[in-house]
Amino acid sequence: MDVFQLLFATLIFPGLVFLTALSFLTQYLVRKLSARMQRRMGPKYVGPVGILQPVYDFLKLLRAKELLKTRYSMIRAAEISLLLGLSSLVASMLLLPLNVYSVGSPYDFLIFFYMASIWPIIMIIIASLSMPGPYTSVGVSRLLSILTVSEPAFFTGLLVPVALASFDTNAPLMISATAVRVVNLWMNPLTLPIMILVTISLIVAVQSKLMLPPFNIPEAEQEIIAGYETEFSGPLLALAILLHDMDTVVSALAIVYLVLGGPAPFSHASIEGVLLVILKYFLVITVATYVKNVFGRYRIDQALVLLLKYGLMPAVIAGVLGSIYLYL
Amino acid sequence: MTHSYSLNDPLVTTILVFTSMSVSFLVLLIIYQSLKSRVVRETKIYLSGEPEEVVREASPSVGNLYWGFIKKFARSIFNTLINKVQTGSIHEWFSFISSWLGILILLAVLMSILYLLAR
Repeated sequence: MDVFQLLFATLIFPGLVFLTALSFLTQYLVRKLSARMQRRMGPKYVGPVGILQPVYDFLKLLRAKELLKTRYSMIRAAEISLLLGLSSLVASMLLLPLNVYSVGSPYDFLIFFYMASIWPIIMIIIASLSMPGPYTSVGVSRLLSILTVSEPAFFTGLLVPVALASFDTNAPLMISATAVRVVNLWMNPLTLPIMILVTISLIVAVQSKLMLPPFNIPEAEQEIIAGYETEFSGPLLALAILLHDMDTVVSALAIVYLVLGGPAPFSHASIEGVLLVILKYFLVITVATYVKNVFGRYRIDQALVLLLKYGLMPAVIAGVLGSIYLYL
Repeated sequence: MTHSYSLNDPLVTTILVFTSMSVSFLVLLIIYQSLKSRVVRETKIYLSGEPEEVVREASPSVGNLYWGFIKKFARSIFNTLINKVQTGSIHEWFSFISSWLGILILLAVLMSILYLLAR
């Protein structure tokens, strides 16, 4: 991979430009689907069928709104943290099979998880603590409590199919190898129950990781204002919202490729393959939006117990079953 | 199934990904600085009746973490600690501690015997 290819992958496709555009489109989809489920119209006026509303909202927050601060605010630290979170998500896109210039290697799943899941959440916490307030403190505490269960659940849920699909290859824990072979796990009656458990676990883990209802207790609206993002305003709020949307996109794409097999049984280069990836992505976003709209918010103790029962436990059981399958 | 993949060194992949992150951070910083609103307004801090220590420390409150995690989530651990260890009676504390220490000593003896037999 030469410098030009690295710059193209980082800045254009599947990096900055593509990820930003897909983030806005995903935000539009979530808002429109939520509105339809609640018998509202949703975004309608900016662009054709309101598709440019998220772009307009972002630019308005970034360019027109003022940034409010107190004497304890550390604006520069918050800005840099959020930008680092965004850039880690952009870099993680290089490891997905969407990238035309493959940079994959054995064990790249671990690098991907580090960039796509650990960095962004740590950066959100640092940014939030840089703009302190009483509600911010409560929100971050709740976020940390949720993370103790949601991150292990998300990691285990993704690790099991990756380990099973790439176990007997010369590329262990490699994302590209997994994306090609994971569809076989759905066809095998011995591994099908494992994949079902993993899917249940990931549906729950993604809701909590993205702080969507019923796990939106860290930013519990009306109760603690906006929790960890209460003190964000203007350009900082624009960055925080974009970071959340990019996190949604990367998490959904991880599930599409590592659990649902991406374009398999077709290839990326075919129209059927591209359509299948789009369809699977839309399916993941629709399920997340449906769960978001069907459930009310849980208290922190309820949320943690349910995350443990329906997020972490299925993933752990799938891991144990997967180990038995591999070694017997 | 025609998607091909190259087998790079994990270290090379890590370096490439972090280079990509650095490049995108610089580009994002330039775009953000050139586009962002320059209007900043300082307001009086609103603390909802809380003391100023809430915002002075750059870390979340230990009390909130304790309340959120131990007392709410790990309620069974909390109840066990309250009901069996911190009952206020030294006899109950002693029986709790001695039973656990007894198990540990038994385990240690058992492991020593196994080790000696295995040799």
